[in-house]
Amino acid sequence: MWRIVDFIVAAIFIYAGALKILDPVQFAHDIDNYKMIPWRAGVALAFYLPWLEIFSGLALIVRRFYNGALAILTALVVVFLVATVAAKARGLDITCGCFGHASQHWSFPAHLALDLALLGALIALCFARFSQARG
Amino acid sequence: MLALLALLPGAGQAIYFRDRISWQSPIPPSELVSVEEARQWGDGAIWVDARPQEEFSRDHVPGAISLNEDHWNDLLPQFLAAWSPGKKVVVYCSAQSCDLAREVAERLRKEAQLPDVFVLEGGWEAWLKKNR
Repeated sequence: MWRIVDFIVAAIFIYAGALKILDPVQFAHDIDNYKMIPWRAGVALAFYLPWLEIFSGLALIVRRFYNGALAILTALVVVFLVATVAAKARGLDITCGCFGHASQHWSFPAHLALDLALLGALIALCFARFSQARG
Repeated sequence: MLALLALLPGAGQAIYFRDRISWQSPIPPSELVSVEEARQWGDGAIWVDARPQEEFSRDHVPGAISLNEDHWNDLLPQFLAAWSPGKKVVVYCSAQSCDLAREVAERLRKEAQLPDVFVLEGGWEAWLKKNR
Protein backbone atom coordinates (compact mmCIF):
# COMPACT_ATOMS: atom_id res chain seq x y z
CA MET A 1 0.00 0.00 0.00
CA TRP A 2 2.82 2.39 0.92
CA ARG A 3 4.49 1.75 -2.42
CA ILE A 4 1.37 3.06 -4.13
CA VAL A 5 1.60 6.23 -2.03
CA ASP A 6 5.31 6.44 -2.94
CA PHE A 7 4.44 6.29 -6.63
CA ILE A 8 1.60 8.81 -6.41
CA VAL A 9 3.64 11.35 -4.45
CA ALA A 10 6.66 10.79 -6.68
CA ALA A 11 4.56 11.20 -9.83
CA ILE A 12 3.13 14.50 -8.59
CA PHE A 13 6.56 15.94 -7.81
CA ILE A 14 8.14 14.65 -11.03
CA TYR A 15 5.26 16.16 -13.03
CA ALA A 16 5.47 19.47 -11.14
CA GLY A 17 9.25 19.59 -11.60
CA ALA A 18 9.03 18.80 -15.32
CA LEU A 19 6.49 21.58 -15.92
CA LYS A 20 8.71 24.12 -14.19
CA ILE A 21 11.81 22.97 -16.07
CA LEU A 22 10.01 23.83 -19.32
CA ASP A 23 9.60 27.47 -18.26
CA PRO A 24 12.10 28.47 -15.56
CA VAL A 25 11.69 32.16 -16.43
CA GLN A 26 8.01 32.05 -15.47
CA PHE A 27 8.86 30.06 -12.33
CA ALA A 28 11.41 32.72 -11.35
CA HIS A 29 8.66 35.36 -11.65
CA ASP A 30 6.28 33.17 -9.62
CA ILE A 31 8.88 32.91 -6.84
CA ASP A 32 9.54 36.66 -7.05
CA ASN A 33 5.82 37.36 -6.66
CA TYR A 34 5.97 36.08 -3.09
CA LYS A 35 8.31 39.02 -2.32
CA MET A 36 10.19 37.00 0.28
CA ILE A 37 13.66 36.67 -1.25
CA PRO A 38 15.81 38.79 -3.56
CA TRP A 39 15.35 38.35 -7.33
CA ARG A 40 18.74 36.64 -7.77
CA ALA A 41 17.97 34.04 -5.11
CA GLY A 42 14.63 33.41 -6.82
CA VAL A 43 16.33 32.85 -10.17
CA ALA A 44 18.77 30.39 -8.59
CA LEU A 45 15.89 28.50 -6.97
CA ALA A 46 13.92 28.54 -10.23
CA PHE A 47 16.74 26.60 -11.91
CA TYR A 48 17.49 24.34 -8.95
CA LEU A 49 14.20 23.38 -7.26
CA PRO A 50 12.51 21.60 -10.20
CA TRP A 51 15.48 19.26 -10.59
CA LEU A 52 15.50 18.64 -6.84
CA GLU A 53 11.81 17.72 -7.05
CA ILE A 54 12.41 15.34 -9.95
CA PHE A 55 15.43 13.62 -8.40
CA SER A 56 13.66 13.31 -5.05
CA GLY A 57 10.57 11.86 -6.77
CA LEU A 58 12.73 9.34 -8.62
CA ALA A 59 14.46 8.47 -5.35
CA LEU A 60 11.08 7.58 -3.84
CA ILE A 61 10.36 5.25 -6.74
CA VAL A 62 13.70 3.44 -6.92
CA ARG A 63 14.14 3.52 -3.13
CA ARG A 64 17.66 4.95 -3.24
CA PHE A 65 18.36 7.90 -0.88
CA TYR A 66 14.74 7.31 0.17
CA ASN A 67 14.98 8.97 3.60
CA GLY A 68 16.72 11.99 2.13
CA ALA A 69 14.08 12.31 -0.58
CA LEU A 70 11.29 12.16 2.01
CA ALA A 71 12.99 14.85 4.08
CA ILE A 72 13.58 17.11 1.07
CA LEU A 73 10.05 16.78 -0.31
CA THR A 74 8.48 17.31 3.11
CA ALA A 75 10.59 20.42 3.65
CA LEU A 76 9.63 21.72 0.17
CA VAL A 77 5.91 21.29 0.86
CA VAL A 78 6.18 22.94 4.27
CA VAL A 79 8.03 25.91 2.76
CA PHE A 80 5.47 26.20 -0.06
CA LEU A 81 2.62 26.07 2.46
CA VAL A 82 4.12 28.72 4.73
CA ALA A 83 4.97 30.98 1.79
CA THR A 84 1.49 30.63 0.28
CA VAL A 85 -0.28 31.37 3.57
CA ALA A 86 2.06 34.28 4.28
CA ALA A 87 1.43 35.74 0.82
CA LYS A 88 -2.31 35.41 1.29
CA ALA A 89 -2.08 37.05 4.73
CA ARG A 90 -0.21 39.98 3.14
CA GLY A 91 -2.95 40.35 0.58
CA LEU A 92 -0.80 39.27 -2.36
CA ASP A 93 -2.83 37.85 -5.21
CA ILE A 94 -0.37 35.41 -6.76
CA THR A 95 -0.19 32.09 -8.49
CA CYS A 96 1.66 29.40 -6.58
CA GLY A 97 3.83 28.39 -9.54
CA CYS A 98 3.81 24.84 -8.16
CA PHE A 99 2.74 23.35 -11.47
CA GLY A 100 3.91 26.12 -13.76
CA HIS A 101 1.23 27.54 -16.01
CA ALA A 102 -0.97 24.49 -15.40
CA SER A 103 -1.85 25.81 -11.94
CA GLN A 104 -2.11 29.46 -12.96
CA HIS A 105 -5.87 29.65 -12.46
CA TRP A 106 -6.17 27.49 -9.39
CA SER A 107 -7.82 29.12 -6.42
CA PHE A 108 -6.07 29.56 -3.10
CA PRO A 109 -8.18 26.83 -1.41
CA ALA A 110 -7.32 24.40 -4.21
CA HIS A 111 -3.60 25.05 -3.79
CA LEU A 112 -3.87 24.74 -0.04
CA ALA A 113 -5.83 21.48 -0.30
CA LEU A 114 -3.26 19.88 -2.61
CA ASP A 115 -0.33 21.03 -0.47
CA LEU A 116 -1.98 19.72 2.70
CA ALA A 117 -2.78 16.39 1.01
CA LEU A 118 0.84 16.06 -0.13
CA LEU A 119 2.11 16.95 3.31
CA GLY A 120 -0.20 14.36 4.85
CA ALA A 121 1.02 11.70 2.43
CA LEU A 122 4.66 12.55 3.08
CA ILE A 123 4.21 12.49 6.86
CA ALA A 124 2.45 9.13 6.54
CA LEU A 125 5.36 7.81 4.48
CA CYS A 126 7.80 9.08 7.12
CA PHE A 127 5.90 7.24 9.84
CA ALA A 128 5.72 4.08 7.74
CA ARG A 129 9.47 4.26 7.12
CA PHE A 130 10.11 4.87 10.82
CA SER A 131 7.94 1.87 11.78
CA GLN A 132 9.74 -0.33 9.24
CA ALA A 133 13.10 0.71 10.64
CA ARG A 134 12.00 -0.07 14.21
CA GLY A 135 10.22 -3.32 13.32
CA MET B 1 23.46 13.61 -2.28
CA LEU B 2 20.16 14.40 -4.00
CA ALA B 3 20.69 18.08 -3.27
CA LEU B 4 24.11 17.91 -4.92
CA LEU B 5 22.84 15.87 -7.88
CA ALA B 6 20.21 18.50 -8.66
CA LEU B 7 22.87 21.22 -8.84
CA LEU B 8 24.36 19.88 -12.08
CA PRO B 9 21.32 20.01 -14.39
CA GLY B 10 20.20 23.21 -12.66
CA ALA B 11 23.50 24.87 -13.46
CA GLY B 12 23.34 23.55 -17.02
CA GLN B 13 19.88 24.97 -17.47
CA ALA B 14 20.95 28.32 -16.04
CA ILE B 15 23.67 28.49 -18.69
CA TYR B 16 21.25 27.45 -21.45
CA PHE B 17 18.73 30.14 -20.44
CA ARG B 18 21.29 32.87 -19.77
CA ASP B 19 20.04 35.00 -22.67
CA ARG B 20 16.40 34.75 -21.64
CA ILE B 21 16.65 35.83 -18.04
CA SER B 22 18.57 38.55 -16.26
CA TRP B 23 20.05 37.79 -12.86
CA GLN B 24 20.06 41.52 -12.09
CA SER B 25 16.41 42.30 -12.63
CA PRO B 26 13.05 40.61 -13.30
CA ILE B 27 12.84 42.56 -16.53
CA PRO B 28 14.54 41.00 -19.59
CA PRO B 29 17.37 43.13 -21.03
CA SER B 30 15.40 43.55 -24.27
CA GLU B 31 12.67 45.38 -22.34
CA LEU B 32 14.97 47.69 -20.41
CA VAL B 33 16.15 51.06 -21.66
CA SER B 34 18.72 53.38 -20.14
CA VAL B 35 18.07 57.07 -19.52
CA GLU B 36 20.53 58.06 -22.25
CA GLU B 37 18.97 55.81 -24.85
CA ALA B 38 15.41 56.84 -23.95
CA ARG B 39 16.34 60.55 -24.21
CA GLN B 40 17.75 59.96 -27.69
CA TRP B 41 14.28 58.86 -28.82
CA GLY B 42 13.12 62.45 -28.25
CA ASP B 43 9.54 62.99 -29.43
CA GLY B 44 9.41 59.41 -30.57
CA ALA B 45 8.86 58.31 -26.97
CA ILE B 46 6.09 58.74 -24.42
CA TRP B 47 7.16 58.71 -20.81
CA VAL B 48 4.82 56.95 -18.38
CA ASP B 49 5.05 57.43 -14.63
CA ALA B 50 3.85 54.30 -12.83
CA ARG B 51 4.27 55.72 -9.32
CA PRO B 52 1.36 56.65 -7.03
CA GLN B 53 -0.36 59.94 -7.79
CA GLU B 54 1.22 61.86 -4.86
CA GLU B 55 4.73 61.06 -6.06
CA PHE B 56 3.85 62.04 -9.64
CA SER B 57 2.39 65.33 -8.42
CA ARG B 58 5.54 66.16 -6.44
CA ASP B 59 7.84 65.75 -9.43
CA HIS B 60 8.10 63.72 -12.62
CA VAL B 61 9.86 63.54 -15.95
CA PRO B 62 8.73 66.59 -17.96
CA GLY B 63 5.89 65.61 -20.25
CA ALA B 64 5.36 62.24 -18.55
CA ILE B 65 1.88 60.85 -18.24
CA SER B 66 0.72 59.32 -15.00
CA LEU B 67 -0.54 55.75 -15.37
CA ASN B 68 -0.65 53.50 -12.34
CA GLU B 69 -2.51 50.34 -11.42
CA ASP B 70 -4.53 52.07 -8.69
CA HIS B 71 -6.29 54.34 -11.20
CA TRP B 72 -5.77 52.33 -14.38
CA ASN B 73 -9.22 52.79 -15.89
CA ASP B 74 -9.28 56.53 -15.17
CA LEU B 75 -5.78 57.24 -16.47
CA LEU B 76 -5.55 54.90 -19.46
CA PRO B 77 -7.67 57.05 -21.82
CA GLN B 78 -5.38 60.07 -21.50
CA PHE B 79 -2.38 57.87 -22.16
CA LEU B 80 -4.00 56.32 -25.24
CA ALA B 81 -4.91 59.79 -26.49
CA ALA B 82 -1.23 60.76 -26.31
CA TRP B 83 0.08 57.55 -27.88
CA SER B 84 0.28 56.97 -31.60
CA PRO B 85 1.64 54.02 -33.62
CA GLY B 86 5.39 54.13 -33.92
CA LYS B 87 5.92 55.78 -30.56
CA LYS B 88 8.00 54.00 -27.98
CA VAL B 89 6.68 53.89 -24.43
CA VAL B 90 9.11 54.34 -21.53
CA VAL B 91 7.65 53.34 -18.16
CA TYR B 92 9.37 54.25 -14.92
CA CYS B 93 8.77 54.04 -11.20
CA SER B 94 10.88 55.11 -8.26
CA ALA B 95 13.97 52.90 -8.58
CA GLN B 96 15.40 49.71 -10.06
CA SER B 97 13.93 47.66 -7.22
CA CYS B 98 10.40 48.99 -7.82
CA ASP B 99 8.03 46.57 -9.53
CA LEU B 100 5.33 49.03 -10.55
CA ALA B 101 6.90 49.95 -13.88
CA ARG B 102 7.25 46.29 -14.89
CA GLU B 103 3.61 45.64 -14.03
CA VAL B 104 2.33 48.69 -15.92
CA ALA B 105 4.53 47.81 -18.91
CA GLU B 106 3.18 44.26 -18.86
CA ARG B 107 -0.41 45.51 -18.84
CA LEU B 108 0.25 47.90 -21.70
CA ARG B 109 1.68 45.04 -23.77
CA LYS B 110 -1.06 42.56 -22.94
CA GLU B 111 -4.20 44.66 -22.48
CA ALA B 112 -3.53 47.61 -24.76
CA GLN B 113 -1.56 45.37 -27.19
CA LEU B 114 1.14 47.98 -27.52
CA PRO B 115 4.49 47.07 -29.05
CA ASP B 116 7.71 48.89 -28.07
CA VAL B 117 7.05 49.23 -24.35
CA PHE B 118 10.19 49.60 -22.26
CA VAL B 119 11.02 49.98 -18.58
CA LEU B 120 13.48 52.69 -17.60
CA GLU B 121 16.57 51.17 -16.08
CA GLY B 122 17.07 52.59 -12.60
CA GLY B 123 13.71 54.38 -12.67
CA TRP B 124 13.11 57.93 -11.42
CA GLU B 125 16.33 57.80 -9.35
CA ALA B 126 18.39 57.18 -12.48
CA TRP B 127 16.64 59.99 -14.36
CA LEU B 128 17.33 62.40 -11.48
CA LYS B 129 21.03 61.44 -11.42
CA LYS B 130 21.37 62.16 -15.15
CA ASN B 131 19.48 65.43 -14.94
CA ARG B 132 20.88 67.08 -11.85
